[in-house]
Amino acid sequence: MQSSAHTADGTANVPRLAEHFASLEVQNHAARLGMWLFLATEILLFAGLFVCYGCYRFLFPEAWAAGSRSLDLTMGTVNTIVLITSSLTAALAVHYAKEGKNKMVGVMFALTLVMALGFLVIKYFEYAHKFHIGTLPGRYYFYEGMQMPGITLYFTVYFCSTALHALHVVIGMTVLAVAMVRAFKKKDFGPNNYTMVELGSMYWHLVDLVWIFLFPMLYLV
Amino acid sequence: MAIANESHQEEKNMHEHHGAGRYWLIWGVLLVLTVVTVVTGRMHLPSFGLLLALVIATVKGTLVALYFMHLSEHRGANRIVFGVSIVFVVLMLAIPMADLGTRFRGANPPGSQYSDLQPPDIGTGAQRGRFGGGLRPHQTKDTPETPEPGHH
Repeated sequence: MQSSAHTADGTANVPRLAEHFASLEVQNHAARLGMWLFLATEILLFAGLFVCYGCYRFLFPEAWAAGSRSLDLTMGTVNTIVLITSSLTAALAVHYAKEGKNKMVGVMFALTLVMALGFLVIKYFEYAHKFHIGTLPGRYYFYEGMQMPGITLYFTVYFCSTALHALHVVIGMTVLAVAMVRAFKKKDFGPNNYTMVELGSMYWHLVDLVWIFLFPMLYLV
Repeated sequence: MAIANESHQEEKNMHEHHGAGRYWLIWGVLLVLTVVTVVTGRMHLPSFGLLLALVIATVKGTLVALYFMHLSEHRGANRIVFGVSIVFVVLMLAIPMADLGTRFRGANPPGSQYSDLQPPDIGTGAQRGRFGGGLRPHQTKDTPETPEPGHH
């Protein structure tokens, strides 16, 4: 846990410098590089599912077309807009953190969390509909309206990728909630101390980035 | 005192601070591109629909990475890490696709586009699935046992 050295005027909050770093700049650089490395592993995690998508789409193009047309495009589009807008507020939170406007940081993260929750609620309705009509992965598929080889694979890929993405939404919400509470309570973000806001926000942008690819792949083509 | 990891790398990173307007601009562009991809996606363009959708998604993703994630202000290691991960993603996609595209026809799954074999009974009907649809056991009570796939 980073603790801050509170100075008399309370404005120049600086995170504690670990002994093995030459300077605060080097420490921040290490933190940011570590975050990029972590995000690279996340990208490759999702890429595994993209490979499954590509291979099975190649083998079963008709099932893929039928499957994607059975999804609710309106809900998918609304969710895309919600997630892109939540990414904007997360970026603005970093902007305000650099200026030391802690209240705005908190408000921006609160807006992000509201939109994230909205995303999950819409996702829940989509899932509930699929459980109802039976477009489910593998052996659990029981929808009479679409019967063709490979159709169960489409829904396996659909559920695996959207569920993994939803898990990332929940993790991202947790991280942003912690940063939001800190912005409201400790109010110590400022030009020298915004690494937590920045890295949390980067994670949220990754969640957005993944959805930007998942949306056209699953809903449109 | 010189310390091993001392560097001036960070002086070049993230120190420029600009107005919030840029984020709103990127947001607007992302929304426009979303509308474009939905409209073109609904046309169900025959051959280049997937390509177009992926190009639009890549442009959107690049905007997010460069401006929301501040990659445009970064130098050195951060860029290399991100770039290399993208290269690996492309390799990971390309190699299995090349494998599938060049396979002996009989090695593809029966029922797929590149196979001459009949699809097996995939058992996806409400009354038929291997587990009777799995989630609706009450419906399968009066129906006879579903034969195992491949037994006909």
